[in-house]
Amino acid sequence: MNVMNARIAGIGRLAMMAAKAAARRLGRLWSLVAFPSLARRLVVAQMAVLVLLWTLLFAWVLYESSMRNELIESGSIHNAFIEVTESLRDQPARQHAALLAMDRAVRSEQSDRAERRAQGRATAQDKEDEDAEAALSPSLLVWQGETLIYRSSEEVPLLRNSAPGVLEKLTGPDGRRWLVKTSRSRHSDVRVTMMAPGLWQMVLTIHDHGYYLLPLLVSLPFLVLPAWLTVRVALRPWREVSDEVASRGWNDLAPLRFQSRHQELKPLAQAIDTLLQRVRESADRERSLIADAAHELRTPLAAIRVNVEALKDQATDPRERALMGSLLRSNERAARLVSQLLQLMRSDAEKSQDAYAVLDLEELIQDRLALLETLADLRGVTLELVSPGPQPVFAERESLVSMVDNLVDNAIKYSPAGGEVVVRLSSRAGRATLYVDDQGPGIPEPLHARVFDRFFRSPDQAQSGSGLGLAIVKSVVERHHGQVRLTTPGAGPGLRVVVQLPLYGQGLTRGGSGTAADGTPPPPAPAAAPASAGSPPPRRSAPPAPHSAASPDPSATPPR
Amino acid sequence: MKVLLLEDDLELGNGVRIALSDQGMEVVWVRRLSDAASSLDANTFDMVLLDLGLPDGDGLELLGRLRRHRKNLPVLILSARDRLQDRLRGLDGGADDYLVKPFALAELLSRVRALARRSYGFEEDQLTLRGLALDEATRSVTVNGREVELSRCEFDLLALLLKRMGRVVTRRALEQQVLPGGPTNESNALDVHMSNLRRKIGKGYVRTVRGIGYVIDGRQREESADSTLDGAP
Repeated sequence: MNVMNARIAGIGRLAMMAAKAAARRLGRLWSLVAFPSLARRLVVAQMAVLVLLWTLLFAWVLYESSMRNELIESGSIHNAFIEVTESLRDQPARQHAALLAMDRAVRSEQSDRAERRAQGRATAQDKEDEDAEAALSPSLLVWQGETLIYRSSEEVPLLRNSAPGVLEKLTGPDGRRWLVKTSRSRHSDVRVTMMAPGLWQMVLTIHDHGYYLLPLLVSLPFLVLPAWLTVRVALRPWREVSDEVASRGWNDLAPLRFQSRHQELKPLAQAIDTLLQRVRESADRERSLIADAAHELRTPLAAIRVNVEALKDQATDPRERALMGSLLRSNERAARLVSQLLQLMRSDAEKSQDAYAVLDLEELIQDRLALLETLADLRGVTLELVSPGPQPVFAERESLVSMVDNLVDNAIKYSPAGGEVVVRLSSRAGRATLYVDDQGPGIPEPLHARVFDRFFRSPDQAQSGSGLGLAIVKSVVERHHGQVRLTTPGAGPGLRVVVQLPLYGQGLTRGGSGTAADGTPPPPAPAAAPASAGSPPPRRSAPPAPHSAASPDPSATPPR
Repeated sequence: MKVLLLEDDLELGNGVRIALSDQGMEVVWVRRLSDAASSLDANTFDMVLLDLGLPDGDGLELLGRLRRHRKNLPVLILSARDRLQDRLRGLDGGADDYLVKPFALAELLSRVRALARRSYGFEEDQLTLRGLALDEATRSVTVNGREVELSRCEFDLLALLLKRMGRVVTRRALEQQVLPGGPTNESNALDVHMSNLRRKIGKGYVRTVRGIGYVIDGRQREESADSTLDGAP
């Protein structure tokens, strides 16, 4: 008993699992079916039209043949039957044979089947076809007086017309409807009755034998594939639009490059363009609002500064001077924030092609470092540049300037007094790499991704800052198809910022980030550039060491 | 010295006016382009401090008019526009200097003084610093009164650094302006000239900023950081 129960339970569990699996599979299939598709809609619509046309054609043919039947109505066929019956009245056997032959001729029976039957080799299929044909073809009854001398088949009911020569619809004893016409001989008592099945009769027969459904079931699968293929081909412009929209960078708001000539796509493409334009305008408005505000802030900041400085020059009380000093420092911070905001708005704004040029990154960095050295010197920080030689990049000068300024400014600011800020340049595999190392407190690893966010500041930050510096750096680097990441210098504490930019004339095809997805102009072909802008002449042939040839600094070796 | 200050902001204009007056300058402060034009007609100024964004027009218009009539009146632009093209437009338009707001008062005063010197035709042939004297006319250099023999390159290097005292001059700039063959020379040619120069004039003047350039500091540094770097090949 227990064994039985256990077994039943086991089977039940198995059945449950199978049912669940089946349900899952069904669910997946259903999701495939339920997920709407335009191509499927079109194919289904095409197939529906096909089925509808086939049905209408069928209905029309059936209706026509049920309303009028030329064979039954043809007087000459009736007369031929009467003639044969009368002339062979004396020879019943030959008479029957002749009627049978004529009957078959009228039904236009397939000869090979007739032959097979004559030879007694009729197959089951033949029998079935015959029945179907018998049900659809005109049938014949020949009377001589009240004697039936010929009947097409046993299934033909013995119907009589009310009068000769009239086409009537009559109902057989089994309820089937027939179209019947009888002709009477003028010389004798011979009567010939021809009858065809009625409409409903035909429908039933055709349905029974699958004449309607079978062709559809066979042909539809063959038609679906080409239909689906043609729909896919026809929908290609659609995919082009969607591909272009999908491949856009987040800040690429330029109008679509794909210009559709198709009536259906044009409004969509135009709507997308209009939307993009509106977004662009609103972004521009917002940007110019911030830029204007930042710009307008400069004059009052200058006024505060000038007045406090004038006051400080006159003040003699050291406490007053200290207070004014902190006023000035706050003023400086605000001024810096304003100028960073402006830089950020500018580096985000779209730059036209002519703002870009081939620049020597080394020269630009050297220029900026020479200016920033004053600040470093003031803070007791040593600044150093290590570079193997000119590094041509295709870039927008002002953006790069603000990038370098922010990087080095940060490094100086967070360095301890007596510390070193080392800027290194190197090139490899078509990319110029810029390393800015400081000996400050560094940034904890988990915050590395977040410090590039605007206004993000490390929680345990002692230095004053806006939190915009690295956001500017990131924005500039991205505009130039480069990368920026944070790490720690080889030894000791501090922060290393690594910026990679594609070198001019190289790496643009190699670097994965070289896709111009965000609308910045692609660099011109190197061949078109002036000779001086091309690959740098090997002027620093002697030791590839940095300028400070005397420096025994091991850090002078190119970083990893 | 009589200065025309064109600045529409009340507080800033007042602040600058007071600061310049404290320095013994006579300041005429106007807040509109039209007032500036009439006051320029009525007075003779030694210098114009010009704001660009004014309520009744752009300061560059006035600059253009000034340059057509009075070619040598020094003009210093004070503007909140800090972009490169703005600065270039101002300087190409005839301004002698361009200062971006907000600025330090000390910087404004130093630039005003520099402009005044230049406009008075006062040529500083003689550059001196802590016992070092350089005469551009005679191309002679003395250290603590003792004559020092310098090559052409060494003299040009020293003169350039002295003129830009307190600011780092980049290697690129030095190579372009001083070396006979320009920057296509060997990498350490500059270092060789510099080490020769240092040997001749002595320690404590030229400071190396490694990889970036050289600077002669205006004030005496406590520890001479450059002494360790003097041994360049």
